[in-house]
Amino acid sequence: MILTLLAAAPKGPLDTWSPTLLALFALLLPLIALLIILAFTVDSRRLSAAISVIFTLAAVVCALLVVAIEIAHPIHLERNATFLQLLTGQTGSASEFLLQWGVLADPLAAVMLIAVTLTSLLVQVYALAFIRREDGPVRFFSVLLFATFAMTGVTLSTSYFEMLLFFGLVTLSTYLMVGYWWQREEAAAAAARAFVLSLAGDLALLAGIAYIFFRFGELNFQTLATQYTGGKVSANGLFIMSILVFLGAAAKSAQFPLHAWLPGSAQAPAPAAALLHSAGAALCGVYLLARAYALFHASPRALALLAIAGGLTAVLGVLWALFQENLKRAIAYTTMSELGLMVLALGIGAYGASIFEVFAHAWPKALLFLAAGVIIRELRTERLAEMGGLWRRMPLTGWVMLIAVAAGAGIPPFSTFWSKDAMLSKALALRSPIAIILITAVTFLGAMALVRIFRLAFTGETARRRRFEPERIRDAGGRIATAMVILAIPCTAAGIRGIRGRTDPIAFVTFPGVTVSNSHFVAAGIIAAAAVLGAGIAWVIYARPRPVVALEPVRRAMAEGLFVERAYHFGAAGLLMPASRAAGWIEQRVDATVDLVADSVAFAGQPRRWLPDVRPRQLVIGLLAGMVVLATVTMMLAGRVIGKVG
Amino acid sequence: MTLLEAVPQATTTAVALPTLLLSGMVWVPALAAIGLLFFPTRTDAHRERIRSFAIGASALVLGLAVVMWYGFRDQSGSFAYEETRPWLPGAGASYHLGVDGISMALLLLSGFLFFFAVLASSRVREQTKEYFVLLLILETGVNGVFASLDYLLFFLFWQLQSVPMFLLIARFGGARRLRAAWKFLAVDLAGSALLLLAILILYFKAPTRTFDMVTLHDATLPVALATLIAWLSFIAFAVRLPVFPFHTWFIDAQAEAPAPVAMILAGLVVKLGGYGIIRVDVGEFQDAFHKIVGAVIVIAVVTVLWSAVAAFAQDNLRRLLGYVVMSHMGLVLLGAAAAVPLAINGAVLLMIADGLSAALLMLLAAATIERANTSSIRAMGGMAGRMSRSTMLWVLAALAAAGFPGLAGFVGQLLVVLGAYPGHRLATPLALLGVLMVAGVMIWSIQRIFFGPAAEHLSRVRDLGTLELANGVGLLSLIVLLGVLPAILMDSVNFSVLTMLSRGGG
Repeated sequence: MILTLLAAAPKGPLDTWSPTLLALFALLLPLIALLIILAFTVDSRRLSAAISVIFTLAAVVCALLVVAIEIAHPIHLERNATFLQLLTGQTGSASEFLLQWGVLADPLAAVMLIAVTLTSLLVQVYALAFIRREDGPVRFFSVLLFATFAMTGVTLSTSYFEMLLFFGLVTLSTYLMVGYWWQREEAAAAAARAFVLSLAGDLALLAGIAYIFFRFGELNFQTLATQYTGGKVSANGLFIMSILVFLGAAAKSAQFPLHAWLPGSAQAPAPAAALLHSAGAALCGVYLLARAYALFHASPRALALLAIAGGLTAVLGVLWALFQENLKRAIAYTTMSELGLMVLALGIGAYGASIFEVFAHAWPKALLFLAAGVIIRELRTERLAEMGGLWRRMPLTGWVMLIAVAAGAGIPPFSTFWSKDAMLSKALALRSPIAIILITAVTFLGAMALVRIFRLAFTGETARRRRFEPERIRDAGGRIATAMVILAIPCTAAGIRGIRGRTDPIAFVTFPGVTVSNSHFVAAGIIAAAAVLGAGIAWVIYARPRPVVALEPVRRAMAEGLFVERAYHFGAAGLLMPASRAAGWIEQRVDATVDLVADSVAFAGQPRRWLPDVRPRQLVIGLLAGMVVLATVTMMLAGRVIGKVG
Repeated sequence: MTLLEAVPQATTTAVALPTLLLSGMVWVPALAAIGLLFFPTRTDAHRERIRSFAIGASALVLGLAVVMWYGFRDQSGSFAYEETRPWLPGAGASYHLGVDGISMALLLLSGFLFFFAVLASSRVREQTKEYFVLLLILETGVNGVFASLDYLLFFLFWQLQSVPMFLLIARFGGARRLRAAWKFLAVDLAGSALLLLAILILYFKAPTRTFDMVTLHDATLPVALATLIAWLSFIAFAVRLPVFPFHTWFIDAQAEAPAPVAMILAGLVVKLGGYGIIRVDVGEFQDAFHKIVGAVIVIAVVTVLWSAVAAFAQDNLRRLLGYVVMSHMGLVLLGAAAAVPLAINGAVLLMIADGLSAALLMLLAAATIERANTSSIRAMGGMAGRMSRSTMLWVLAALAAAGFPGLAGFVGQLLVVLGAYPGHRLATPLALLGVLMVAGVMIWSIQRIFFGPAAEHLSRVRDLGTLELANGVGLLSLIVLLGVLPAILMDSVNFSVLTMLSRGGG
């Protein structure tokens, strides 16, 4: 509120502060901090952490100012600089090839920017206490800063080229975060998988960019936005572009079947996973779709593709989440379903609702991972079956976890209730039964999945294991508690309407041609009922989990995520390796003929005996003699010809 | 506006600097090599002096390259630093040197890589003198090819590389060095023979009896003959590139050569193949090359995919890196064959980027192999614990090889893809598949070498020493510089590419 007023002040100092400049600061501050740490303070843990937190705090302030300005004046501003400028002349006429990078400020970017920087800040505060000395805190803060920089860059990208560039950096940051504990075999493998899948998406995006550039000769989002519908490209062409861009986004935002890296990303340390799943790598795909929404909006088939892929991802993710034995993997699969919902919302045209979901979902997801980090550290296990009874031993963690679960499940009045309500309102307005059923079902099952986690971890009795004493469990305190409590605030308040009438708090994010649908009382009722019902049923079912023998195969298949990860592994190990060996076999055959030639040359000269004894002087003389001979032969040849001519 | 009008005409007059600069770049290493012959080699101090002298010589060449590049920047596409002296006038040959943006960029790369290679040669304990003499002669050969504007000269310099390379591998290489060296020599001589044949056909069939590239450019040849020459020279250069199926020499040589020589081999010697294709096939025989471009594209894509697939089953680290370099050269070939300004710009940038990243990878691979005492990837693992600097550099080098944003290869790949896509809409996505596989194999190599639990015998290895670190960081900073500011190199390259393409076929 205060910020809104500040920005709205007519002759305030904010008017002279260009939002793009502030955005540029927000982008560069994490990078500068990273460079300072790498250059000067690598050896000092405390100093590095302090620099990291302070610079990120400054970035948050910049982001808040951008948000304030954009709320007051929702306009699109860009500030570009030349990256590479070349002259080209492909079709006879000269033209200029221009790659630009820069920053932009518009409502969409502002919302994402505050989510990224604020989550990063809180995660860092948490990490101050969470990452112990032997885990290498300096490396951890460097990686977090790099991830923040990469994600901020994605947020502020003005063109497809810049987006691709920062997508690559996001890929790298994901790799570094997931593989943080590189000594573990699984973490290293999960990191490699995350990298390759992400990169596959990046290359698909590159192909899409090549196609877009080939057709439009332009890569700037804003300039292109008005050109898609101009008839330069056929409907099929637009659809193909959309598919390629969607593949790039899908690999990042874990849309089925490119989601296989997401469950493995739970290998990252809890704070890193929190950033990754709330406003980090996993969200930048959705952000790309929102940024390039004009492309999808121009092609009805592309919107249908989004809706189908998103719906499928949402349902599968939430079903798999219900069967996970591992705490962090269970949370990771709920992220997948939420990402599916966001894409589905984009597909049915609920642009604002989708961005609202991005914003509302970030906080509970970050909080869930942070709380999970505390639990895992105290219990020294990630298996849900070995948890239980933590409510008495960890009251603070229990409370924030409860808030996060409620916020993630969509129980009113917590954050995602409002965004899911907005989505369903749009679906109701469209009168699309499939969309209505999908959103309701995913809300219901999502509530079940989250409450299941809470029920298994916090109620019942703590399982006893060898060399583990439940009495020694301590609750979180200090910085960890501070970060979690602060995060609990937006979980509660992020969605509340009423700031301006009945519209969303981020209703200033609009897309031309897409109407912002106001909340529908029926929608609110359905979402509230589904969430509460799902939570209640899960509370009853998972009170004393008894394995049902008949469902065992189903449980295993679901816990393994329908073996998609294994299919990838089989594809890599089962197809590529034999192909590679076959290639090696063929090469040996090719080689044999070459060897034959080489051996005969060697045999003719028999030089192996004298070779090690040659002195350099002889060598140089030999070389010069060779050149002279060669030149003489050439001259003689030439002379013969000249003789003929003359 | 036609293409020619778009090329800004040179506003400044010809460079006033003494034209001996280019000759200096070519001949200083050879003179230094001859000078080295008179050094004694009895004690360690003597050997150290030889090494210092070689470092000085290569640093001088690097300095010349930097000065030339600095003075070159205001040129626009034409040949600069031209130097013409009569030489074998009866045969129509002359000592004609000159550079344009493309060869200038590659000469700069050559200066840097030879400097780093000489620096990295601190481990050569025996026959030090011979080693540095051969390395410096090799530098003369490489720089000579980039600088010559006369076919005969071009060929002589081309030929000048094979013997030092052969001896360097045969005398200083690994366990199976003789086999690899002979294979290199046999294949290289066969390729050179084709090149000589192409040059002689051109020489005898052209209306004017000359070897001069600039003069011969305007000569008109029968179409069939021009196509034949284009084919012959293409095959000669492609063997060097190397393309499938003529690549086995490269993989063997890569695995057996001593580390600094492997740097030069992967970073420069194979790049000469790419340079030859761009200079001779695309530049001089554009129309004829256009006729065979379909086949060339197929060869390029097969090379990219074949080497990417073949890399997966490699257990020998250096053979794996050989395939990675080969895959990139396939991409370079794709860019060159697309023959549009963007793609050729991309190909040149990719060659430079790959030269730097391949050199860095070779350097790190040699250090890792030395520590682990084996070149088998399977026997490594968990080395990050002891070798954190090495791990960091390796990750960045692997990313550079994978064409990562912010590093030099990215812009090169982007330009190749954007340029080649309109003309070759199937080949380009297929090549992207190869890029993905190369990235996959590099990332997997990190996982297998550095990550995971440490093996017992690797628990006491040392990290990179200061010199190795300095070399690595030097190469890496060049990679980052080119990745963030490609414009510093690409402006002059672009003008030369435009000039070359607009002159049309000869």
